Amino acid sequence: MYFSKKLENQIKLGGLLVAAAVGCLFLTGYFGFNNRVADKGYRPEQPVPFSHKLHAGELEISCMYCHTGVEQSSHSPVPSTSTCMNCHSVVKSDSPKIKLVKESYENNTPIEWKRIHYLPGYAHFNHSRHIRAMIDCASCHGQVETMGVVHQENRLSMGWCLDCHRNPEQYIVPARPISGIFTGVDPMNAVNKETGKYKLAVSKPITSPQFGQYETEIPKTIVEGIPTPKHAGFGPENCSACHH
Amino acid sequence: MEKKSIINGKTIFGIILAIPVVLFVAGVLSAQIPWFSEKPPLEFNSDMDNQFKAKTQQGTSFFADRATSRPPVEGTVPREGSKYKLQMNEVASADSLYKNTLVKNDFVLARGKNRFNTFCLPCHGADGKGQGKVVQKGFAPPPSLVVQKASDYTDSKIFHIISAGQGVMPKYADKLSEVDRWAVVHYIRSIQEKNGLKPNSNQQLALSTSTKGE
Repeated sequence: MYFSKKLENQIKLGGLLVAAAVGCLFLTGYFGFNNRVADKGYRPEQPVPFSHKLHAGELEISCMYCHTGVEQSSHSPVPSTSTCMNCHSVVKSDSPKIKLVKESYENNTPIEWKRIHYLPGYAHFNHSRHIRAMIDCASCHGQVETMGVVHQENRLSMGWCLDCHRNPEQYIVPARPISGIFTGVDPMNAVNKETGKYKLAVSKPITSPQFGQYETEIPKTIVEGIPTPKHAGFGPENCSACHH
Repeated sequence: MEKKSIINGKTIFGIILAIPVVLFVAGVLSAQIPWFSEKPPLEFNSDMDNQFKAKTQQGTSFFADRATSRPPVEGTVPREGSKYKLQMNEVASADSLYKNTLVKNDFVLARGKNRFNTFCLPCHGADGKGQGKVVQKGFAPPPSLVVQKASDYTDSKIFHIISAGQGVMPKYADKLSEVDRWAVVHYIRSIQEKNGLKPNSNQQLALSTSTKGE
């Protein structure tokens, strides 16, 4: 026996306290500074039980039928209820599940959907840049057409974004027909025929030593008013690319 | 008195039990293991995540109706293209107002096919015969696009139907830009040609491929 019973208990208690403090520091550091908030798997209940599995999966309606402005806008719009009423003026128009949509359409009040994918106010993401580079929606959102209730598939953290900006070929899902992404004359344009993965454009670093800004060839406009599809190279890594 | 060691059988058993629990919690917290929850994610250190600014389609306390997307001011003109001027029943004036000036080429046809597959295919079907998946689910079946009647329509009339709708078909002027609608017209013509029909095209061959600047 080296210590008295009292001292031994004090050492044990002290050890526990130190362990708890280290644990708290780790958690704060991990969430506060690594920006890895566990929002993956967030699956809220929406005011209208809309199923992507039914609409996109079974009925094979393209993503872009409803999320139309995604090719032009930084924000991928949630459709107005007039888009729902394109079909539901006829199909299942008496269903109690549609009631809220009908009311919204008739009274001109938007449905308050719950936002799942949320970026902090200081980070900017542009959908149209990625869509015009033939990057499929599933690269970030997962296979939404298999989800009955949509959940967040990826972390959307800064590290996660940069992983793909540094190794695009490894993460990008080439445009699939269900997304409605325009790939130009060749429907398999987005795919590298040799590897079956996304076809990467040649991109050169602008400066030497490089600081994460690349120059990628931009194709010429073929027809005015129609976006010309391009291949993505390395994504920018400098701060102001997203924090501007 | 013999001293009881702290590390006895019970403690080892407890540690062995605790390891998977700790790993699981760490996996969920670092988002390696998906954990489905209806509750919004926790924020330990929110910094400037939630700023007082209007984000697209997100509620704001700044306006009385809480909508950030404001309706355009009366008399607003779109920067690209123009608002479709005709109503659904004004088919007759389509021929004189809207002329197909988009030159047909492979790229335009590919765009037309892409837009057709996105917006028309759910009802009209890939072959244009009106047996899309939405029709099988209970929507009114649209008339076939590959019959003589449809190929006798002028380009402008098909453009009008896409833009303003017809019968239960809604208007698509809000979803398809003017150029895209002409591209779809070209693609519909190409399906009709594949089915052995001779489309009645009133295309005005112009030097410019642009329909801008009306």
